[in-house]
Amino acid sequence: MSDSLKNSKVLSDKVIDLLVSNTFQKNGVNIDKAKKKLTDEQKQAFKELVEDLTKQVNSFVKQPSSKQENSK
Amino acid sequence: MSRYEDEYESTKRNCNCKKCQNKNRQGAQDVQNMHDDADVLQAGTQDSFIEQESDELVLIKDSCNIEVQSTDTQVAVSLQVGLQLAIALVISITIGDSDEGQNVAQDLFQELNAEQTNKQRIIIENSKDVTITTTDTDLAVNIQVLLEVLVALVAKLDVL
Repeated sequence: MSDSLKNSKVLSDKVIDLLVSNTFQKNGVNIDKAKKKLTDEQKQAFKELVEDLTKQVNSFVKQPSSKQENSK
Repeated sequence: MSRYEDEYESTKRNCNCKKCQNKNRQGAQDVQNMHDDADVLQAGTQDSFIEQESDELVLIKDSCNIEVQSTDTQVAVSLQVGLQLAIALVISITIGDSDEGQNVAQDLFQELNAEQTNKQRIIIENSKDVTITTTDTDLAVNIQVLLEVLVALVAKLDVL
């Protein structure tokens, strides 16, 4: 995992991990089966998607795009 | 309630003719059927809603050299939608667009479902050299949580 993905955590990894695991378990999803189903191309696409969104979120949180209104 | 509506209500309640009784019975049955399906209806539509209301007012009067910086909420909303779409997409491709996949997506969004109202009023009057910066923190946190879910999801699938 790159450094940019580790930044700006709101909830702990464990809580989020538990949420995702619990949701999979509750709906009877087999993670190993799901992993095998993914092609390398799809994995690469997901990785790029997540990295892109992480950059966008980090730049929004740290340096919010702002509009300026000046009145004189 | 207007007079006409009042009359209509009283007619509706008091009418005992066979036609109306049948209609009322049918209506009651429909309501019953709706309750039977309530879980399905609710899971399909309500859970993916994120309700958000933002109300911002900036009033500057009789002043000079005023600078107001306010985060652009539209960016946050589009980021939020982008993250939700990405989560739904990952689930759809990995688990398939079956009931199972839709349930997983719904469950994840259900846990994150947020209703949020932000009201903000900035009033500057008879002032000079004022700088104000505001940030929509609640929404930023919401976006970060969505991102964390997405990252956890793809990490579970050994993508990262």
